[in-house]
Amino acid sequence: MAFSVPVRLGAAENTLIEQLNSAGAAATAERISVAGLPTRRVESYHYTDLKTLLRSVPPLADQNDTLDAFLKSGATPFHVEGAHQITIANGAVAYDDNAPAGVIVGKAEGNALSTRDDVLVHLNTALAKESLTLTIENTIEQVIQIDRRIEGEAAHVLDSAKIFVADNASVTILETLSSSDAAHVGNHATYLAVGRNTVVTHIVIDLSPRAATQFSTSEYTIADGAKLRTVTIHAGAALSRSQIFARFTGEGAHGDFTGLNLVEDGQHNDITIDIRHGVANTTSQELYKQIARGRSKAVFQGKIVVERDAQKTDAKMMMQGLMLSNEAEILSKPELEIYADDVVCGHGSTCGELDEDSMFYLMSRGIPKAEAETMLVRGFIEEVLDPVENEALAEALHGVVDRWLLGKAG
Amino acid sequence: MADYDDIPTLKDNIDRATVDSVLALDVDKYKYGFETDIESDMAPKGLSEDTVRFISAKKNEPEWMLEWRLEAYRRFLTMTEPSWAKVHYPQIDLQDMYYYAAPKSSPAPKSLDEVDPALIAMYDKLGVPLREREILAGVERPNVAVDAVMDSVSVVTTFREELSKVGIIFCSISEAIREYPELVQKYLASVVPVSDNYYATLNSAVFTDGSFVYIPKGVRCPMELSTYFRINEKKTGQFERTLIIAEADSYVSYLEGCTAPMRDENQLHAAVVELVALDNAEIKYSTVQNWYPGDKDGKGGIYNFVTKRGDCRGVNSKISWTQVETGSAITWKYPSCILRGDGSRGEFYSIAISNGYQQVDSGTKMIHLGKNTSSRIIAKGIAAGFSDNTYRGQVSAHAKAKNARNFTQCDSLLIGDKCGAHTVPYIESRNGTAVFEHEATTSKISDDQMFYCQQRGLNEEEAVALIVNGFVRDVLQHLPMEFMVETQKLISISLEGSVG
Repeated sequence: MAFSVPVRLGAAENTLIEQLNSAGAAATAERISVAGLPTRRVESYHYTDLKTLLRSVPPLADQNDTLDAFLKSGATPFHVEGAHQITIANGAVAYDDNAPAGVIVGKAEGNALSTRDDVLVHLNTALAKESLTLTIENTIEQVIQIDRRIEGEAAHVLDSAKIFVADNASVTILETLSSSDAAHVGNHATYLAVGRNTVVTHIVIDLSPRAATQFSTSEYTIADGAKLRTVTIHAGAALSRSQIFARFTGEGAHGDFTGLNLVEDGQHNDITIDIRHGVANTTSQELYKQIARGRSKAVFQGKIVVERDAQKTDAKMMMQGLMLSNEAEILSKPELEIYADDVVCGHGSTCGELDEDSMFYLMSRGIPKAEAETMLVRGFIEEVLDPVENEALAEALHGVVDRWLLGKAG
Repeated sequence: MADYDDIPTLKDNIDRATVDSVLALDVDKYKYGFETDIESDMAPKGLSEDTVRFISAKKNEPEWMLEWRLEAYRRFLTMTEPSWAKVHYPQIDLQDMYYYAAPKSSPAPKSLDEVDPALIAMYDKLGVPLREREILAGVERPNVAVDAVMDSVSVVTTFREELSKVGIIFCSISEAIREYPELVQKYLASVVPVSDNYYATLNSAVFTDGSFVYIPKGVRCPMELSTYFRINEKKTGQFERTLIIAEADSYVSYLEGCTAPMRDENQLHAAVVELVALDNAEIKYSTVQNWYPGDKDGKGGIYNFVTKRGDCRGVNSKISWTQVETGSAITWKYPSCILRGDGSRGEFYSIAISNGYQQVDSGTKMIHLGKNTSSRIIAKGIAAGFSDNTYRGQVSAHAKAKNARNFTQCDSLLIGDKCGAHTVPYIESRNGTAVFEHEATTSKISDDQMFYCQQRGLNEEEAVALIVNGFVRDVLQHLPMEFMVETQKLISISLEGSVG
């Protein structure tokens, strides 16, 4: 009956096809040339229409001649006292031999993510040349920081990390995304295998300047009795999307998935999560807060899937949005997809502006308006940052939020 | 239908009426599955420009209407079927069905006496009163005016004269096109544009009948209006179109019911319903959808792809949708409200029950455009058997919708471990002063609740029915009285066989 209209390809798509073909990834190139980049008609990109938002893609980064220069050029924009730092600059992995005992750092060819029908995953799989490999063998007190940087002229950078946390180990891993002030497109992948009875905190924070576009995909498998906490913070980049794909594979595991989506004038930031309870007796809590000011878009898409065998699952998702301007948009889609009957699942979503009564309370006690606002906003996000135990790290994270509140983010 | 002898052990303590009502359900628990042998006038099979012309000619439509349909048909050819819903079905062959089937009878019966008695008998069997009965023996029953639509045509509309005394127009849409063209031209497709979506466009091209209601300014409709839809003919699609206009300060409550015979083929039902509420007007639209859901192996059943939308065009207007969805193999339905007028209000109350291999993807849209608009959504989904039950709802506030308010609550209940319950809300705030609250839960009937009921002597099925009725109570109370009792029964019936 109806016929389908062939997709018209834009500049970004043509560049991607060219880059994929020259990397020998004909199949992925073919996919993009047939379907194009996802539009709002693709359910998982409903609020982030890449075809419209991603106008152009810069050339692939040349890793070799630039790496040394960058490593010498300076420190990460986000420094945590006592952290052990590993750098991936323009896709190339750089590390030295002084890793703490129990941390094995290496690199491998190829990429980290499982196959998944997602354009960002396909691109990373096809174009990321090498992966950082990180094995955590026991309890590590030091924060392990993976500093992912894009330097120099505008570049399309795809990098990848594969992290294994051995049974009974515990660790805090911090990933920072940053770049020079150019129209980069970053596509970062992390695969994190969380072993049995581990305690793992994984933080991804985007501090890129406003010219950049950053995509990141984190994939987790969570084994028996593990406790995972993830924190995703967006405080930079004109366009960004963080994807989280997590699957519980062992009983008795618990996951806390949290995040802050801070957007201001001209930004479009998206956090998309897909949490799958694959076995019985697992629990998860998702807590995401979005704050939008200026003319901006904050997007949260959350999905909890409870598979057929995942009886006794307890999953609760919460999204709270705070609008600080009338031109801002907060768009959220908290989904539940449930196939097991003996479960307790729920989600909530709220959206509004700062509470007038609270503002009045503070101002009537002599606190100036701007300060009162800041106090309330800080209170609003505290729930996400409070559980981070490492003091130096918590302080640095608060610093990021404070800078954003003062309008000096990125 | 089975009879008492088929039951191996009929316990004495079981109320005979209960047994009757269960037996009436037969194997597939669907009591409206009979087929009535009525000679029909059919359009040639398949969809083409000729089919559209045929339908328009059959309806004696004016030229502008034919042009309108053809335009829709041309648009339709450029569209593709939507795939975002969580439903799976084989490709529908639009060429392998009939788009027009009408009971053959003398042209335009003037009174009920001229209507084919088989038809009236059928409606009697369905429990739809077509005769304007006198009030008998002091038993006062509220009157309900009915427009009965079978396959592609409206067979009879009752209480028209009484309604016309207060200026209310209640007739089939085909009559309205002929007799009130200015009203139809002004409002048709003003809420659901011709090319709104794939099925709405198809409907615009080939719609055959439906109801038309016009409530003049300041009139409170003295009785419930209702339409009863019935698919009877094989291999036909039903494409009805309903248009309700409530002028300033008026009120109307409208009920809709649907059934179809049991067949092992899938039949398509693609309707469009448009509501327009002007200043201070209120429309209450209730649906009990009980199309044939298919047999216990998922064979047959109606594909119910419906576009329903209300436009709160005037200030302080109000539209309220209440739906009970128990039938259809596949339901794809999102009764929505466009809150355009300042201070307007939209409500959506829904119970969606799926059993067997049914698939439901239903919900609502509340589009806040005007200032101080508010909306409320209460959706209860119950999944049993092998079914999938999805709530999909959108709430959005436009930048100019100052002080928009929404409260959404959607709860799902799973009965059995082979079914699925899903929630997909889209919450879009484009305004700082908008306040949206959304909560959703999914759970099963707790063992404590079951224990409590069973310990007091209810058997397992009764206990489930009781708990489920409690679960959906928030919604039930918004149904008109006539539907409430019926619905409670329907709920128990739909869940029959889902436990144990």
